[in-house]
Amino acid sequence: MEELGRIHQLIIPFFGHDLTFNLEVIIMTWIVISILLLFGFLASSKKGVIPGPLQVVGELLVAQLFALTEDALGEELGKKYAPLICALFMFLVLSNWIGIVPMMHEPTKDLNTPLSLGLLGFFISHYLGIKTKGIKAYLKAYVDPFFFMMPLNVIGEVAKVVSISFRLFGNIMGGSIIILVISYLVYNLILPPFLNAFFGVFVGAIQAFVFTMLTLVYIAVQVK
Amino acid sequence: MDIMGADLVKAFACLGAGISMGLGAIGPGVGEGFAAGKACEAIGRNPQEAGLLTRTMLVGQAVSESTGIYSLVIALLLLFVV
Repeated sequence: MEELGRIHQLIIPFFGHDLTFNLEVIIMTWIVISILLLFGFLASSKKGVIPGPLQVVGELLVAQLFALTEDALGEELGKKYAPLICALFMFLVLSNWIGIVPMMHEPTKDLNTPLSLGLLGFFISHYLGIKTKGIKAYLKAYVDPFFFMMPLNVIGEVAKVVSISFRLFGNIMGGSIIILVISYLVYNLILPPFLNAFFGVFVGAIQAFVFTMLTLVYIAVQVK
Repeated sequence: MDIMGADLVKAFACLGAGISMGLGAIGPGVGEGFAAGKACEAIGRNPQEAGLLTRTMLVGQAVSESTGIYSLVIALLLLFVV
């Protein structure tokens, strides 16, 4: 129970400021990225008409997510932004599932990872909104019913980032703390596999899907 | 043993965490139950669409759960940071 809520940090003084690095999160993120790169390499190295098992998984993911993106964004933009959505979903699923392996921690357990991914979606959606609608129509959406609604609209846009990142962070963090506490209470007997299956696999997959879908919806709202 | 100000802060932080989690769990509980009930009705009316309905229900529940998750984050902040 001692390690509850403790983070390994590397603090480097830098011209009067302290640069703080969360080492575990960085290492786990790189492990997730290298597993994904390995998976992509293995799935596409031996392409064939009769696919191998890895190629089937890859084709399934890509086909489903491309169809989803084209439904939301339309034919042309969908093709362009489906790789982003695909990569986001695969990264989040693997990040949420990697906590099942002993001694591994989810990178999404730290607020920095979901917040940076949420900001990524925020900036992409607004850039795309300005690009497709033009700056005039984009700014006009803020004063939508009448001029005095502008502060509320701006707050609503910022609240999207906060809500999407805190949802992922809270689910994964809360799940891992519940697993830790209940495993400690039952002396690691019987219950931990079921807890890991629920909070790790089930909640992790659903939250990754929800995060991806909400990013897609935010982009689609700005485009239309 | 005297009770100092820091002890009072810790005690009220723990109390606040409990109250936040208890009150914050009401809304998602009612909302998710309502969503599951409506999904059950829809599946009863239209059983061949059960897969799609279940998927939509789970995603909607995961979104409506987020208010409860916010209160969990607040409770954890009160417990470990204050």
